[in-house]
Amino acid sequence: MSKSRKRPDGNDKVTGQLAYLTDRTFPEMLYAKVLRSAYPHARIRSICTERAKELPGVKAIITHQDVPGVNGFGIITPDQPVFCDETVRFIGDAVAAVAATSVEVAEEAIKRIDVTYDVLSVLDDPAKSLAKDAPKLRDDGNVLYKKSFTKGDVAEGFKHCTAVVEETYHVPRQMHAYMETEGGVVVPEADGGITVYMGTQHGFKDQFQLSRILDLPKESIRIVSSPMGGSFGGKDELNVQPYAALLALKTNKPVKLHQTRAESVISSIKRHPMAITIKTGADETGKVIAHDVKIVADTGPYATLGPAILDFAVEHSAGPYRFEHVAVDGTSVLTNNAVSGEFRGFGGNQITFALENQMDRLAEQVGMCPLALRKLNLRGEHDLGPLEQRIVPTTGASDVLENVERLKDQLEFKKDLPFVRTGVGIAMAMHGGGLGFGRLDGAGGRLSLSDEGKIDVSFGFEEVGQGIVAVIEELTIAALHCDENDITITIGDTNRVPHSGSTTASRGTSMVWHALERMKQEFKEKLCEQAALITDEPVNDLCLGTGGIYKGEEQVLTYRSLREQVTSEANVVVETSFDFPTTPDEVDGGHYLYTFAGVLAAVEVDLLTGQVNVTHLHQAISAGEVVNELGYKGQIEGGGVMSLGYSIMEDMGMEQGHYLKPNFDTYMLPTISDVPRLSVDAIEKLPDGDVHGPRGVGEIGTVAVAPAITKAIHDALGIWINKIPVDPSTILQAIEKEGATWWNEQPIVSHK
Amino acid sequence: MVERATDCKPQMISMTLNGERVSIQANETDRLTDVLRHGEPSLTGTKLSCGIGRCGACSVLVNGELVNSCLLMAYQVEGASVTTIEGVGKGSLDPIQIAFMEEGGFQCGYCTPGMVMAVKALLLENPEPNDEQIVEGLSGNICRCTGYEGIKRAVRAAIRKQN
Repeated sequence: MSKSRKRPDGNDKVTGQLAYLTDRTFPEMLYAKVLRSAYPHARIRSICTERAKELPGVKAIITHQDVPGVNGFGIITPDQPVFCDETVRFIGDAVAAVAATSVEVAEEAIKRIDVTYDVLSVLDDPAKSLAKDAPKLRDDGNVLYKKSFTKGDVAEGFKHCTAVVEETYHVPRQMHAYMETEGGVVVPEADGGITVYMGTQHGFKDQFQLSRILDLPKESIRIVSSPMGGSFGGKDELNVQPYAALLALKTNKPVKLHQTRAESVISSIKRHPMAITIKTGADETGKVIAHDVKIVADTGPYATLGPAILDFAVEHSAGPYRFEHVAVDGTSVLTNNAVSGEFRGFGGNQITFALENQMDRLAEQVGMCPLALRKLNLRGEHDLGPLEQRIVPTTGASDVLENVERLKDQLEFKKDLPFVRTGVGIAMAMHGGGLGFGRLDGAGGRLSLSDEGKIDVSFGFEEVGQGIVAVIEELTIAALHCDENDITITIGDTNRVPHSGSTTASRGTSMVWHALERMKQEFKEKLCEQAALITDEPVNDLCLGTGGIYKGEEQVLTYRSLREQVTSEANVVVETSFDFPTTPDEVDGGHYLYTFAGVLAAVEVDLLTGQVNVTHLHQAISAGEVVNELGYKGQIEGGGVMSLGYSIMEDMGMEQGHYLKPNFDTYMLPTISDVPRLSVDAIEKLPDGDVHGPRGVGEIGTVAVAPAITKAIHDALGIWINKIPVDPSTILQAIEKEGATWWNEQPIVSHK
Repeated sequence: MVERATDCKPQMISMTLNGERVSIQANETDRLTDVLRHGEPSLTGTKLSCGIGRCGACSVLVNGELVNSCLLMAYQVEGASVTTIEGVGKGSLDPIQIAFMEEGGFQCGYCTPGMVMAVKALLLENPEPNDEQIVEGLSGNICRCTGYEGIKRAVRAAIRKQN
């Protein structure tokens, strides 16, 4: 593979020519706005749309009464109302929507919809929701989901521990902050169906969900879902598609709905805040014997993939380590806060922060080097997976650890500046790819020769920015020995693509590779057979190459000419469908293919302000072969900086169910001035005989960054952090508590 | 002109847009972004993301200076020269654009037009900025995908290319 090929979507992106779905317009298009709830928890007494209807330019106003099918959405359970009828359960709940001749008229109309509420008490913390006298957010109470895992007997295990660390960790509600907010256009078609031009991470799933809501057959709904200006999991669930679709059907006009940033903040899903309490014990050699984990996730009022995310966190509670006794108890709790849902890392980032902090604290208590403690407890190549299931053999865990250890030994730091302390931290992670055992995780693809004589490679994936188009191009060229000018790529359109499953769970690269492996031989053979008939050359002498079919070094037929000489019926189309590989053991949600990250972070901590400045972030990734170098690097660098934000900047705070940060003026994202020196090492080696090809790297670069940064802070100051994003005032208080002040600048703890 | 609910008076605004003299109808309340994207020019390369001047996705050049077009009213560019992403690399790509492609300076591409405009403004003012100046020049433009490393590589490459 050339690996450094430029992305096929590059030219259109750097010139601004790429039409995003939110950039599109259609003749006679109307504009829509959604009225969201005025309260985080209330009963709706009345909805009156009369004053809004009177406004010139208003073409349609819809509420719960206008939903012909199921008034709910949710990838697994449709429990989030399209429009609330009796009760609103968070500040982003939708109550009504308007289509009008302009955005301004729609905005004005929304203000003129009169809704009266009876305000209910707000459950803004899982602890409140779990209290005995708490109002119930659904009939069966306030627990959305529970998941546990047990191995051995932790109570017995702790009896043999000489060092025990117990801590509660708090991780924040991170916002995806994709640059393109949700939206697009829904166009009514002549046959009574619709075309939905809106971004999503699984077009066929949107088609299914919309079919249920609109009471339309799936075949009447075409989803054009690509390209997108970012998603990171945030556009996996439905967002504004139902409103534009209902309004387009009602008005029989194209309807555009593009949320403003403020509207996006209010309505979009966020990363699950979690409180994770862990007790971990080891013997005097540092061997961990018992690990007792309790996870409480604030999932907001509706499910989306909350249960699956909790499953993932529970699965990864012991990460890449093998502990004798493990007990994990996870609870996903309903609240009146933001809906928490899918976000790059999928519960892994939260649990890894807690787990890796435990390993570091334990190392200190045992009096060991944290790396040595990790190595002692690390999984081996043929060990079972974290749920005691069989997994694909891997040396990734030890490979990434060795890489960061080597780098740590080479690091040289500038001498401490006045009032500045420096430190280095290391953390690691193991991350499952695909949806896991027992989950519908079908994949597939198609190769064909288009009428223009191009090799059309088609997948039901979406280009969200991750570079799946570059991966498809690179792998197709490698599989068929053609070049980029011979290929067209078709994705993100339910009318034109096969089922490939979701563009999530780090599965895209892996599935494209598997699909091409399955299709390439048949496709090549069939093309060569046709070429043999046309050219009278022996079929065994023919092969595919740049521009056409070759006999040795000589091109005997172009793809175009081949296509022209074959009838449409005889044209070569090769399709495949298969499932993402899962563990043979019946372990619900258990993964089979895992990737690994080793992270080294270096920080400077300002003793006067408590500010943390990350100066170097290095990631070693074990995920098999690199398909596209720029894409791979970009995923890890970008994921790393996103998690730097998670570690020291980003928290979508809420108070009494209201957002505290309405836009980017208060929700701080990393800018170019926050970026440390970044380095990425790809460890491509896989055990001999591995048949699973390159793994996806969409998530792994985000998972272990936070604990590396907090360990680096500990290295600098001797302070343990149990809550992110790290608050400078916590650091200042800790400095003061230790007796060091800026006028009496002394080493705080001698720990180096 | 963007359709409005209220009775604001549309007016003609004359400007030089990407090198061509144009007159565009705009309402008094239209932002420059609105007119560029939704008005007659239909130049959707300029993006709107935060709408409050914090992310730089809507960056354009007005008389050679970098501005957030979401913070500028359309009437304020009367008589000015406005350059959008569509005006960069017309005919053949600008070295900045080539560098963004070669160095992985973009992923989803939504911040890219604004980012390219910011680099353009930076290099117009200072053809050989050092790393610190690059950071300062691009600190008003948010990218959520790349972690900025690819963008830094691209700017350094663009500097080399133009020499």
